[in-house]
Amino acid sequence: MSKRRNAVFFCVITILIIAFFWINIVLGSADISVREVLGIITGGSSETMESSIIMGIRMPRAISAVLLGGALALSGYLLQTFFGNPIVGPFVLGISSGAKLFVALTMIFFLSLGKQMGLNMMVLAAFVGASLAMAFVLLISVKVRNMSILVVCGIMTGYICSAITDLVVTFADDSNIVNLHNWSMGSLSGMGWEEIRLIAVIVAICFLLAVLIQKPMNAYRLGEAYARSVGVNIKLLRVMLIFISSLLAACVTAFAGPISFVGIAVPHLVRSALGTDSAPVMIPASFLGGALITLFCDLVARTVFAPTEVSISSVTAVFLVPVVIYMMIKRSGRNS
Amino acid sequence: MSGENGIRTEKLDIGYKSDLIKDISLCVRPGEIVTLIGPNGSGKTTLLKTLSGELKSRGGTVYLDGDDRESLKASEIAKRMSIVMTYKIKPELMTCREVVEVGRYPYTGSFGILSDTDREKVKEAMEWTDVADLDESLFSNISDGQKQRVLLARAICQEPEIMILDEPTSFLDIRHKIDILQRIRAFAEGKKVAVLMSLHELGIARNISDTVVCVGEGEVLKTGTPEEVFKEEFIRRLYHLEDTDIDMLGEVLWLK
Repeated sequence: MSKRRNAVFFCVITILIIAFFWINIVLGSADISVREVLGIITGGSSETMESSIIMGIRMPRAISAVLLGGALALSGYLLQTFFGNPIVGPFVLGISSGAKLFVALTMIFFLSLGKQMGLNMMVLAAFVGASLAMAFVLLISVKVRNMSILVVCGIMTGYICSAITDLVVTFADDSNIVNLHNWSMGSLSGMGWEEIRLIAVIVAICFLLAVLIQKPMNAYRLGEAYARSVGVNIKLLRVMLIFISSLLAACVTAFAGPISFVGIAVPHLVRSALGTDSAPVMIPASFLGGALITLFCDLVARTVFAPTEVSISSVTAVFLVPVVIYMMIKRSGRNS
Repeated sequence: MSGENGIRTEKLDIGYKSDLIKDISLCVRPGEIVTLIGPNGSGKTTLLKTLSGELKSRGGTVYLDGDDRESLKASEIAKRMSIVMTYKIKPELMTCREVVEVGRYPYTGSFGILSDTDREKVKEAMEWTDVADLDESLFSNISDGQKQRVLLARAICQEPEIMILDEPTSFLDIRHKIDILQRIRAFAEGKKVAVLMSLHELGIARNISDTVVCVGEGEVLKTGTPEEVFKEEFIRRLYHLEDTDIDMLGEVLWLK
Protein backbone atom coordinates (compact mmCIF):
# COMPACT_ATOMS: atom_id res chain seq x y z
CA MET A 1 0.00 0.00 0.00
CA SER A 2 2.65 2.50 1.05
CA LYS A 3 4.90 1.01 -1.62
CA ARG A 4 2.44 2.14 -4.23
CA ARG A 5 2.23 5.57 -2.66
CA ASN A 6 6.03 5.84 -2.81
CA ALA A 7 6.09 4.75 -6.45
CA VAL A 8 3.44 7.30 -7.40
CA PHE A 9 5.29 10.03 -5.50
CA PHE A 10 8.63 9.34 -7.18
CA CYS A 11 7.06 9.12 -10.62
CA VAL A 12 5.09 12.33 -10.26
CA ILE A 13 7.96 14.32 -8.79
CA THR A 14 10.39 13.15 -11.46
CA ILE A 15 7.98 14.16 -14.21
CA LEU A 16 7.41 17.55 -12.55
CA ILE A 17 11.15 18.15 -12.20
CA ILE A 18 11.70 17.36 -15.87
CA ALA A 19 8.78 19.62 -16.82
CA PHE A 20 9.99 22.55 -14.72
CA PHE A 21 13.56 22.03 -15.82
CA TRP A 22 12.34 22.35 -19.40
CA ILE A 23 10.25 25.45 -18.65
CA ASN A 24 13.23 27.05 -16.86
CA ILE A 25 15.32 26.57 -19.96
CA VAL A 26 12.72 27.75 -22.46
CA LEU A 27 11.43 30.80 -20.57
CA GLY A 28 13.50 33.93 -20.19
CA SER A 29 13.95 37.52 -21.24
CA ALA A 30 15.54 36.49 -24.54
CA ASP A 31 12.81 35.01 -26.72
CA ILE A 32 13.99 31.64 -27.93
CA SER A 33 11.50 29.22 -29.44
CA VAL A 34 11.03 25.68 -28.23
CA ARG A 35 12.27 24.32 -31.54
CA GLU A 36 15.44 26.38 -31.34
CA VAL A 37 16.05 25.22 -27.78
CA LEU A 38 15.61 21.59 -28.85
CA GLY A 39 18.00 22.16 -31.70
CA ILE A 40 20.61 23.72 -29.45
CA ILE A 41 20.42 20.96 -26.83
CA THR A 42 20.51 18.09 -29.31
CA GLY A 43 22.64 19.73 -31.98
CA GLY A 44 25.62 20.54 -29.78
CA SER A 45 27.66 23.69 -29.98
CA SER A 46 26.68 26.09 -32.69
CA GLU A 47 28.27 29.45 -31.84
CA THR A 48 25.10 31.54 -31.90
CA MET A 49 23.96 33.95 -29.22
CA GLU A 50 20.93 31.77 -28.52
CA SER A 51 23.11 28.78 -27.95
CA SER A 52 25.31 30.62 -25.47
CA ILE A 53 22.23 31.82 -23.59
CA ILE A 54 20.83 28.32 -23.34
CA MET A 55 24.01 26.36 -22.72
CA GLY A 56 25.99 29.07 -20.92
CA ILE A 57 23.32 30.66 -18.73
CA ARG A 58 19.98 28.89 -18.45
CA MET A 59 21.17 25.30 -18.44
CA PRO A 60 23.77 25.68 -15.64
CA ARG A 61 21.31 27.80 -13.69
CA ALA A 62 18.58 25.15 -13.88
CA ILE A 63 21.04 22.41 -12.96
CA SER A 64 22.24 24.46 -9.99
CA ALA A 65 18.62 24.89 -8.86
CA VAL A 66 18.21 21.10 -8.89
CA LEU A 67 21.45 20.38 -7.05
CA LEU A 68 21.37 23.22 -4.53
CA GLY A 69 17.64 22.95 -3.83
CA GLY A 70 18.03 19.22 -3.27
CA ALA A 71 21.07 19.86 -1.06
CA LEU A 72 19.14 22.31 1.12
CA ALA A 73 16.18 20.02 1.63
CA LEU A 74 18.45 17.08 2.42
CA SER A 75 20.42 19.23 4.87
CA GLY A 76 17.16 20.21 6.56
CA TYR A 77 16.01 16.59 6.77
CA LEU A 78 19.29 15.50 8.38
CA LEU A 79 19.09 18.32 10.93
CA GLN A 80 15.50 17.38 11.72
CA THR A 81 16.61 13.83 12.37
CA PHE A 82 19.46 15.06 14.56
CA PHE A 83 17.23 17.24 16.73
CA GLY A 84 14.26 14.88 16.58
CA ASN A 85 12.14 17.85 15.60
CA PRO A 86 10.65 18.78 12.23
CA ILE A 87 10.78 22.54 12.84
CA VAL A 88 14.48 23.06 12.19
CA GLY A 89 16.47 23.79 9.06
CA PRO A 90 19.85 25.23 8.11
CA PHE A 91 18.38 28.71 7.65
CA VAL A 92 16.38 29.04 10.88
CA LEU A 93 19.26 27.63 12.93
CA GLY A 94 21.55 30.36 11.61
CA ILE A 95 23.87 27.93 9.83
CA SER A 96 23.35 29.47 6.40
CA SER A 97 23.97 32.94 7.83
CA GLY A 98 27.17 31.79 9.53
CA ALA A 99 28.38 30.48 6.19
CA LYS A 100 27.36 33.72 4.50
CA LEU A 101 29.30 35.85 6.99
CA PHE A 102 32.47 33.86 6.52
CA VAL A 103 32.22 33.90 2.74
CA ALA A 104 31.73 37.68 2.80
CA LEU A 105 34.67 38.23 5.15
CA THR A 106 36.96 35.97 3.15
CA MET A 107 35.85 37.52 -0.12
CA ILE A 108 36.58 41.03 1.12
CA PHE A 109 39.91 39.91 2.50
CA PHE A 110 40.87 38.51 -0.89
CA LEU A 111 39.62 41.63 -2.68
CA SER A 112 41.69 43.83 -0.38
CA LEU A 113 44.73 41.84 -1.45
CA GLY A 114 43.70 42.50 -5.03
CA LYS A 115 43.02 38.86 -5.74
CA GLN A 116 39.94 36.94 -6.83
CA MET A 117 38.70 34.27 -4.52
CA GLY A 118 38.76 30.74 -5.93
CA LEU A 119 35.72 28.49 -5.79
CA ASN A 120 37.35 25.98 -3.47
CA MET A 121 38.31 28.76 -1.10
CA MET A 122 34.73 29.98 -1.13
CA VAL A 123 33.33 26.58 -0.20
CA LEU A 124 35.94 26.18 2.50
CA ALA A 125 35.11 29.58 4.01
CA ALA A 126 31.40 28.74 3.91
CA PHE A 127 32.03 25.40 5.59
CA VAL A 128 34.06 27.04 8.38
CA GLY A 129 31.28 29.59 8.92
CA ALA A 130 28.56 26.93 8.87
CA SER A 131 30.49 24.76 11.31
CA LEU A 132 31.03 27.63 13.74
CA ALA A 133 27.33 28.54 13.63
CA MET A 134 26.49 24.87 14.08
CA ALA A 135 28.85 24.63 17.06
CA PHE A 136 27.11 27.61 18.62
CA VAL A 137 23.68 26.04 18.08
CA LEU A 138 24.88 22.76 19.59
CA LEU A 139 26.26 24.60 22.58
CA ILE A 140 22.86 26.17 23.18
CA SER A 141 21.07 22.88 22.59
CA VAL A 142 23.08 21.32 25.42
CA LYS A 143 21.99 24.13 27.76
CA VAL A 144 18.33 24.35 26.78
CA ARG A 145 16.14 21.40 25.93
CA ASN A 146 13.38 23.60 24.57
CA MET A 147 13.28 23.54 20.78
CA SER A 148 11.50 26.91 20.42
CA ILE A 149 14.29 28.67 22.33
CA LEU A 150 16.83 26.92 20.15
CA VAL A 151 15.09 28.11 16.98
CA VAL A 152 14.79 31.66 18.34
CA CYS A 153 18.52 31.61 19.18
CA GLY A 154 19.25 30.36 15.68
CA ILE A 155 17.23 33.15 14.09
CA MET A 156 18.99 35.72 16.32
CA THR A 157 22.37 34.31 15.31
CA GLY A 158 21.25 34.60 11.74
CA TYR A 159 20.39 38.27 12.23
CA ILE A 160 23.71 39.05 13.89
CA CYS A 161 25.62 37.32 11.09
CA SER A 162 23.57 39.16 8.47
CA ALA A 163 24.11 42.47 10.23
CA ILE A 164 27.87 41.99 10.28
CA THR A 165 27.78 40.86 6.65
CA ASP A 166 25.83 43.99 5.67
CA LEU A 167 28.26 46.13 7.61
CA VAL A 168 31.38 44.78 5.94
CA VAL A 169 29.67 44.87 2.54
CA THR A 170 28.67 48.52 3.05
CA PHE A 171 32.15 49.66 4.05
CA ALA A 172 34.14 47.56 1.64
CA ASP A 173 35.09 49.65 -1.38
CA ASP A 174 35.33 47.77 -4.58
CA SER A 175 33.29 47.45 -7.72
CA ASN A 176 33.02 43.74 -7.09
CA ILE A 177 30.92 44.53 -4.08
CA VAL A 178 27.89 44.77 -6.33
CA ASN A 179 28.19 41.06 -6.97
CA LEU A 180 28.70 40.44 -3.32
CA HIS A 181 25.51 42.30 -2.57
CA ASN A 182 23.52 40.23 -5.04
CA TRP A 183 25.00 37.07 -3.66
CA SER A 184 24.26 37.97 -0.05
CA MET A 185 20.56 38.31 -0.93
CA GLY A 186 20.43 34.83 -2.38
CA SER A 187 20.48 34.25 -6.10
CA LEU A 188 21.18 31.52 -8.60
CA SER A 189 22.29 33.92 -11.32
CA GLY A 190 25.75 33.72 -12.80
CA MET A 191 26.19 29.96 -12.38
CA GLY A 192 28.78 28.56 -14.74
CA TRP A 193 29.85 25.03 -15.60
CA GLU A 194 32.90 25.31 -13.38
CA GLU A 195 30.66 25.96 -10.38
CA ILE A 196 28.28 23.18 -11.40
CA ARG A 197 31.14 20.67 -11.49
CA LEU A 198 32.22 21.49 -7.93
CA ILE A 199 28.63 21.58 -6.64
CA ALA A 200 27.89 18.22 -8.24
CA VAL A 201 30.92 16.60 -6.62
CA ILE A 202 30.14 17.94 -3.13
CA VAL A 203 26.43 17.16 -3.31
CA ALA A 204 27.06 13.67 -4.68
CA ILE A 205 29.49 12.89 -1.85
CA CYS A 206 27.05 14.19 0.77
CA PHE A 207 24.16 12.26 -0.74
CA LEU A 208 26.16 9.02 -0.70
CA LEU A 209 27.20 9.61 2.92
CA ALA A 210 23.56 10.21 3.82
CA VAL A 211 22.56 6.93 2.15
CA LEU A 212 25.28 5.16 4.13
CA ILE A 213 23.77 6.29 7.45
CA GLN A 214 20.14 5.63 6.54
CA LYS A 215 20.03 2.48 8.66
CA PRO A 216 21.13 4.07 11.96
CA MET A 217 19.02 7.14 11.12
CA ASN A 218 15.95 4.95 11.04
CA ALA A 219 16.70 3.40 14.43
CA TYR A 220 17.47 6.86 15.84
CA ARG A 221 13.82 7.79 15.31
CA LEU A 222 13.06 5.83 18.49
CA GLY A 223 15.42 8.03 20.47
CA GLU A 224 18.95 7.63 21.70
CA ALA A 225 18.45 4.85 24.25
CA TYR A 226 16.63 2.44 21.95
CA ALA A 227 18.98 3.24 19.09
CA ARG A 228 21.99 2.46 21.24
CA SER A 229 20.37 -0.74 22.48
CA VAL A 230 20.16 -2.14 18.95
CA GLY A 231 23.82 -1.32 18.33
CA VAL A 232 23.83 2.16 16.79
CA ASN A 233 27.05 4.10 17.32
CA ILE A 234 25.32 7.26 18.52
CA LYS A 235 28.39 9.49 18.55
CA LEU A 236 29.38 8.58 15.01
CA LEU A 237 25.83 9.03 13.76
CA ARG A 238 25.54 12.47 15.35
CA VAL A 239 28.88 13.60 13.95
CA MET A 240 27.91 12.37 10.50
CA LEU A 241 24.53 14.12 10.59
CA ILE A 242 26.14 17.40 11.62
CA PHE A 243 29.00 17.10 9.15
CA ILE A 244 26.84 16.29 6.13
CA SER A 245 24.15 18.86 6.86
CA SER A 246 26.71 21.62 7.51
CA LEU A 247 28.64 20.79 4.34
CA LEU A 248 25.45 20.83 2.26
CA ALA A 249 24.26 24.12 3.74
CA ALA A 250 27.75 25.60 3.30
CA CYS A 251 27.86 24.50 -0.34
CA VAL A 252 24.52 26.13 -1.09
CA THR A 253 25.46 29.35 0.66
CA ALA A 254 28.86 29.57 -1.00
CA PHE A 255 27.35 29.44 -4.49
CA ALA A 256 23.89 30.92 -4.15
CA GLY A 257 23.89 32.84 -0.89
CA PRO A 258 21.31 32.02 1.74
CA ILE A 259 18.11 30.47 0.37
CA SER A 260 15.51 30.52 3.10
CA PHE A 261 12.98 27.96 4.31
CA VAL A 262 13.60 25.24 1.69
CA GLY A 263 15.47 23.18 4.31
CA ILE A 264 12.70 23.36 6.87
CA ALA A 265 9.53 23.26 4.76
CA VAL A 266 10.34 20.81 1.97
CA PRO A 267 11.03 17.76 4.17
CA HIS A 268 7.70 18.46 5.86
CA LEU A 269 5.81 18.67 2.56
CA VAL A 270 7.49 15.50 1.31
CA ARG A 271 6.83 13.69 4.59
CA SER A 272 3.16 14.61 4.43
CA ALA A 273 2.89 13.53 0.80
CA LEU A 274 4.51 10.17 1.52
CA GLY A 275 2.95 9.60 4.94
CA THR A 276 6.25 8.33 6.32
CA ASP A 277 9.48 9.60 7.81
CA SER A 278 11.49 6.49 6.96
CA ALA A 279 15.06 7.53 6.14
CA PRO A 280 15.65 5.32 3.06
CA VAL A 281 12.62 6.94 1.41
CA MET A 282 13.02 10.44 2.81
CA ILE A 283 16.65 10.94 1.74
CA PRO A 284 15.98 10.75 -2.02
CA ALA A 285 12.46 12.18 -1.67
CA SER A 286 13.64 15.29 0.21
CA PHE A 287 16.34 15.82 -2.36
CA LEU A 288 13.89 15.65 -5.27
CA GLY A 289 11.35 17.79 -3.41
CA GLY A 290 13.95 20.47 -2.77
CA ALA A 291 15.02 20.36 -6.41
CA LEU A 292 11.45 20.82 -7.62
CA ILE A 293 10.57 23.68 -5.26
CA THR A 294 13.80 25.52 -6.02
CA LEU A 295 13.35 25.15 -9.77
CA PHE A 296 9.87 26.58 -9.40
CA CYS A 297 10.92 29.45 -7.10
CA ASP A 298 13.86 30.41 -9.31
CA LEU A 299 11.52 30.48 -12.29
CA VAL A 300 9.22 32.85 -10.40
CA ALA A 301 12.16 34.95 -9.18
CA ARG A 302 13.41 35.69 -12.67
CA THR A 303 10.23 35.78 -14.74
CA VAL A 304 7.42 37.40 -12.74
CA PHE A 305 8.99 40.87 -12.60
CA ALA A 306 11.19 40.41 -15.69
CA PRO A 307 13.52 41.92 -16.64
CA THR A 308 14.07 42.74 -12.95
CA GLU A 309 15.04 39.72 -10.94
CA VAL A 310 13.98 39.32 -7.33
CA SER A 311 16.09 37.36 -4.85
CA ILE A 312 15.17 33.69 -4.69
CA SER A 313 14.89 33.94 -0.91
CA SER A 314 11.97 36.34 -1.26
CA VAL A 315 10.14 33.83 -3.42
CA THR A 316 10.87 30.81 -1.24
CA ALA A 317 9.79 32.83 1.81
CA VAL A 318 6.46 33.78 0.22
CA PHE A 319 5.66 30.19 -0.71
CA LEU A 320 7.18 28.31 2.20
CA VAL A 321 6.67 30.45 5.31
CA PRO A 322 2.93 29.64 5.33
CA VAL A 323 3.88 25.96 5.33
CA VAL A 324 6.19 26.46 8.31
CA ILE A 325 3.57 28.43 10.24
CA TYR A 326 0.98 25.75 9.51
CA MET A 327 3.38 23.10 10.81
CA MET A 328 4.00 25.00 14.03
CA ILE A 329 0.30 25.56 14.70
CA LYS A 330 -0.52 21.93 14.00
CA ARG A 331 2.21 20.69 16.30
CA SER A 332 1.44 22.99 19.21
CA GLY A 333 -2.21 22.02 18.89
CA ARG A 334 -1.36 18.34 19.11
CA ASN A 335 1.04 18.65 21.99
CA SER A 336 -1.20 20.63 24.28
CA MET B 1 30.55 -17.51 24.59
CA SER B 2 31.38 -19.41 27.75
CA GLY B 3 29.09 -21.94 29.39
CA GLU B 4 27.39 -19.37 31.58
CA ASN B 5 24.18 -17.78 30.31
CA GLY B 6 22.12 -14.81 31.38
CA ILE B 7 23.28 -11.64 33.05
CA ARG B 8 25.44 -11.32 36.13
CA THR B 9 27.09 -8.42 37.91
CA GLU B 10 30.15 -8.50 40.09
CA LYS B 11 30.89 -5.73 42.58
CA LEU B 12 29.04 -3.27 40.40
CA ASP B 13 29.03 0.38 41.49
CA ILE B 14 26.40 2.63 39.93
CA GLY B 15 25.49 6.29 40.01
CA TYR B 16 25.72 9.54 38.06
CA LYS B 17 28.21 11.96 39.65
CA SER B 18 28.77 9.89 42.78
CA ASP B 19 28.14 6.32 43.83
CA LEU B 20 24.44 5.68 44.33
CA ILE B 21 24.73 1.99 45.13
CA LYS B 22 27.99 0.12 45.59
CA ASP B 23 28.96 -3.49 45.31
CA ILE B 24 25.91 -4.94 43.55
CA SER B 25 26.04 -8.62 42.79
CA LEU B 26 23.02 -10.07 41.09
CA CYS B 27 22.38 -12.82 38.63
CA VAL B 28 19.55 -13.63 36.24
CA ARG B 29 19.57 -17.03 34.56
CA PRO B 30 17.75 -17.96 31.33
CA GLY B 31 14.01 -18.45 31.81
CA GLU B 32 14.06 -16.56 35.09
CA ILE B 33 12.37 -13.31 36.06
CA VAL B 34 14.18 -11.12 38.55
CA THR B 35 12.31 -8.04 39.77
CA LEU B 36 13.72 -4.89 41.33
CA ILE B 37 11.53 -3.22 43.93
CA GLY B 38 12.15 -0.21 46.11
CA PRO B 39 11.07 3.40 46.57
CA ASN B 40 11.39 6.11 43.89
CA GLY B 41 14.92 7.43 43.60
CA SER B 42 16.45 4.33 45.16
CA GLY B 43 18.40 3.56 42.00
CA LYS B 44 16.33 0.93 40.18
CA THR B 45 16.34 2.81 36.89
CA THR B 46 20.00 3.79 37.34
CA LEU B 47 20.87 0.12 37.76
CA LEU B 48 18.88 -0.91 34.67
CA LYS B 49 20.47 1.91 32.65
CA THR B 50 23.91 0.83 33.74
CA LEU B 51 23.21 -2.77 32.72
CA SER B 52 21.85 -1.67 29.34
CA GLY B 53 24.95 0.45 28.75
CA GLU B 54 23.23 3.82 28.73
CA LEU B 55 25.20 4.80 31.84
CA LYS B 56 28.82 3.98 32.52
CA SER B 57 29.38 1.82 35.56
CA ARG B 58 31.51 3.38 38.27
CA GLY B 59 33.23 0.14 39.11
CA GLY B 60 32.85 -3.62 38.89
CA THR B 61 31.84 -5.80 35.97
CA VAL B 62 28.69 -6.74 34.06
CA TYR B 63 28.76 -10.17 32.44
CA LEU B 64 26.47 -10.98 29.52
CA ASP B 65 26.39 -14.73 28.91
CA GLY B 66 29.65 -14.92 30.80
CA ASP B 67 31.47 -12.27 28.75
CA ASP B 68 32.54 -8.94 30.20
CA ARG B 69 30.22 -6.29 28.74
CA GLU B 70 33.18 -4.00 28.05
CA SER B 71 34.84 -6.59 25.83
CA LEU B 72 31.80 -6.93 23.54
CA LYS B 73 31.09 -4.87 20.44
CA ALA B 74 27.87 -2.84 20.35
CA SER B 75 26.47 -5.15 17.68
CA GLU B 76 27.20 -8.26 19.79
CA ILE B 77 25.54 -6.73 22.85
CA ALA B 78 22.52 -5.83 20.72
CA LYS B 79 22.10 -9.48 19.71
CA ARG B 80 22.18 -10.60 23.33
CA MET B 81 20.18 -7.95 25.15
CA SER B 82 17.10 -5.84 24.41
CA ILE B 83 15.36 -3.18 26.46
CA VAL B 84 11.97 -1.64 27.14
CA MET B 85 12.37 1.66 28.95
CA THR B 86 9.92 4.23 30.32
CA TYR B 87 10.81 7.02 27.91
CA LYS B 88 7.86 8.38 26.03
CA ILE B 89 8.97 8.18 22.43
CA LYS B 90 7.22 10.26 19.79
CA PRO B 91 8.47 9.17 16.40
CA GLU B 92 7.08 11.21 13.50
CA LEU B 93 4.83 9.28 11.14
CA MET B 94 6.21 5.91 12.18
CA THR B 95 3.97 2.87 11.92
CA CYS B 96 3.94 0.24 14.64
CA ARG B 97 5.51 -2.24 12.26
CA GLU B 98 8.38 0.16 11.60
CA VAL B 99 8.89 0.53 15.36
CA VAL B 100 9.06 -3.24 15.77
CA GLU B 101 11.35 -3.58 12.74
CA VAL B 102 14.01 -1.54 14.53
CA GLY B 103 14.46 -4.66 16.66
CA ARG B 104 15.93 -6.43 13.61
CA TYR B 105 18.68 -3.79 13.32
CA PRO B 106 21.48 -6.05 14.64
CA TYR B 107 20.66 -8.67 12.00
CA THR B 108 20.29 -6.62 8.81
CA GLY B 109 23.02 -5.50 6.40
CA SER B 110 24.55 -2.06 6.13
CA PHE B 111 21.52 -0.56 4.35
CA GLY B 112 19.04 -2.00 6.82
CA ILE B 113 17.03 -3.94 4.22
CA LEU B 114 14.84 -6.60 5.84
CA SER B 115 15.01 -10.19 4.58
CA ASP B 116 11.97 -12.49 4.50
CA THR B 117 13.18 -14.06 7.75
CA ASP B 118 13.32 -10.62 9.37
CA ARG B 119 9.78 -9.85 8.23
CA GLU B 120 8.59 -13.19 9.55
CA LYS B 121 10.17 -12.53 12.97
CA VAL B 122 8.58 -9.08 13.11
CA LYS B 123 5.19 -10.56 12.29
CA GLU B 124 5.60 -13.33 14.85
CA ALA B 125 6.58 -10.90 17.60
CA MET B 126 3.63 -8.66 16.82
CA GLU B 127 1.21 -11.57 16.82
CA TRP B 128 2.70 -12.75 20.05
CA THR B 129 2.02 -9.47 21.86
CA ASP B 130 -1.34 -9.16 20.10
CA VAL B 131 -0.58 -6.03 18.06
CA ALA B 132 -0.51 -7.61 14.59
CA ASP B 133 -3.65 -5.72 13.59
CA LEU B 134 -1.91 -2.42 14.40
CA ASP B 135 0.96 -2.90 11.96
CA GLU B 136 -0.05 -0.01 9.68
CA SER B 137 -1.26 2.26 12.51
CA LEU B 138 0.90 5.21 13.49
CA PHE B 139 2.67 4.64 16.78
CA SER B 140 1.73 8.12 17.98
CA ASN B 141 -1.97 7.39 17.55
CA ILE B 142 -2.36 4.24 19.65
CA SER B 143 -3.13 3.89 23.36
CA ASP B 144 -0.51 3.55 26.10
CA GLY B 145 -1.33 -0.11 26.59
CA GLN B 146 -0.87 -0.78 22.90
CA LYS B 147 2.36 1.24 22.82
CA GLN B 148 3.80 -0.87 25.60
CA ARG B 149 2.91 -4.07 23.73
CA VAL B 150 4.46 -2.71 20.52
CA LEU B 151 7.66 -1.85 22.39
CA LEU B 152 7.64 -5.32 23.90
CA ALA B 153 7.26 -6.82 20.42
CA ARG B 154 10.25 -4.72 19.33
CA ALA B 155 12.32 -6.07 22.20
CA ILE B 156 11.19 -9.63 21.45
CA CYS B 157 12.00 -9.64 17.75
CA GLN B 158 15.52 -8.52 18.63
CA GLU B 159 15.85 -12.18 19.76
CA PRO B 160 17.71 -11.42 22.97
CA GLU B 161 18.96 -13.82 25.58
CA ILE B 162 18.55 -11.08 28.17
CA MET B 163 15.73 -8.58 28.41
CA ILE B 164 15.70 -5.48 30.59
CA LEU B 165 12.43 -3.69 31.31
CA ASP B 166 11.99 -0.53 33.35
CA GLU B 167 8.53 -0.40 34.89
CA PRO B 168 6.82 -2.12 31.97
CA THR B 169 3.45 -1.65 33.65
CA SER B 170 3.53 2.11 34.17
CA PHE B 171 0.68 4.03 32.47
CA LEU B 172 -1.35 0.81 32.26
CA ASP B 173 -4.61 -0.09 33.95
CA ILE B 174 -4.79 -3.23 36.06
CA ARG B 175 -6.03 -5.48 33.25
CA HIS B 176 -3.25 -4.38 30.92
CA LYS B 177 -0.69 -4.63 33.70
CA ILE B 178 -1.55 -8.28 34.19
CA ASP B 179 -1.78 -8.89 30.46
CA ILE B 180 1.68 -7.51 29.68
CA LEU B 181 3.32 -9.33 32.59
CA GLN B 182 1.76 -12.63 31.60
CA ARG B 183 3.24 -12.16 28.15
CA ILE B 184 6.65 -11.38 29.64
CA ARG B 185 6.40 -14.47 31.87
CA ALA B 186 5.47 -16.71 28.94
CA PHE B 187 8.25 -15.21 26.83
CA ALA B 188 10.88 -15.73 29.53
CA GLU B 189 9.88 -19.37 29.98
CA GLY B 190 9.17 -20.17 26.35
CA LYS B 191 12.33 -18.70 24.84
CA LYS B 192 14.56 -19.21 27.88
CA VAL B 193 15.31 -15.53 28.24
CA ALA B 194 16.73 -13.92 31.36
CA VAL B 195 14.37 -11.10 32.33
CA LEU B 196 15.31 -8.30 34.70
CA MET B 197 12.73 -5.62 35.39
CA SER B 198 11.64 -3.02 37.88
CA LEU B 199 8.09 -2.91 39.23
CA HIS B 200 6.13 -0.69 41.58
CA GLU B 201 3.20 -3.05 42.12
CA LEU B 202 4.22 -5.27 44.99
CA GLY B 203 1.31 -7.69 44.63
CA ILE B 204 2.20 -8.34 41.02
CA ALA B 205 5.92 -8.53 41.71
CA ARG B 206 5.24 -11.14 44.31
CA ASN B 207 3.34 -13.34 41.91
CA ILE B 208 5.47 -13.08 38.81
CA SER B 209 9.06 -13.08 40.09
CA ASP B 210 11.44 -15.93 40.65
CA THR B 211 13.73 -13.66 42.60
CA VAL B 212 13.09 -10.21 44.07
CA VAL B 213 15.87 -7.68 44.61
CA CYS B 214 15.06 -4.91 47.08
CA VAL B 215 16.87 -1.63 46.56
CA GLY B 216 16.81 1.11 49.16
CA GLU B 217 18.89 3.19 51.54
CA GLY B 218 21.78 3.21 49.07
CA GLU B 219 22.23 -0.53 48.90
CA VAL B 220 20.68 -3.81 47.91
CA LEU B 221 18.83 -4.54 51.14
CA LYS B 222 17.70 -8.03 50.36
CA THR B 223 17.66 -10.57 47.55
CA GLY B 224 15.52 -13.66 47.66
CA THR B 225 12.41 -15.51 46.59
CA PRO B 226 9.10 -13.66 46.94
CA GLU B 227 8.35 -15.70 50.09
CA GLU B 228 11.60 -14.59 51.68
CA VAL B 229 11.28 -10.94 50.73
CA PHE B 230 7.62 -10.14 51.21
CA LYS B 231 7.52 -9.87 54.97
CA GLU B 232 5.37 -7.06 56.31
CA GLU B 233 8.03 -5.51 58.51
CA PHE B 234 10.74 -5.53 55.88
CA ILE B 235 8.59 -4.04 53.14
CA ARG B 236 7.50 -1.29 55.54
CA ARG B 237 11.13 -0.48 56.19
CA LEU B 238 11.99 -0.58 52.47
CA TYR B 239 9.34 2.00 51.61
CA HIS B 240 9.71 4.00 54.86
CA LEU B 241 6.12 3.31 55.87
CA GLU B 242 6.71 2.16 59.44
CA ASP B 243 4.09 4.51 60.90
CA THR B 244 1.44 4.34 58.21
CA ASP B 245 -1.60 2.18 58.66
CA ILE B 246 -1.55 0.36 55.37
CA ASP B 247 -1.92 -3.20 54.21
CA MET B 248 1.50 -3.49 52.56
CA LEU B 249 1.21 -6.88 50.99
CA GLY B 250 -2.28 -6.74 49.63
CA GLU B 251 -3.62 -4.38 47.04
CA VAL B 252 -5.65 -2.42 49.56
CA LEU B 253 -4.50 0.90 50.91
CA TRP B 254 -5.89 2.81 53.85
CA LEU B 255 -4.49 6.18 54.72
CA LYS B 256 -4.86 7.59 58.17
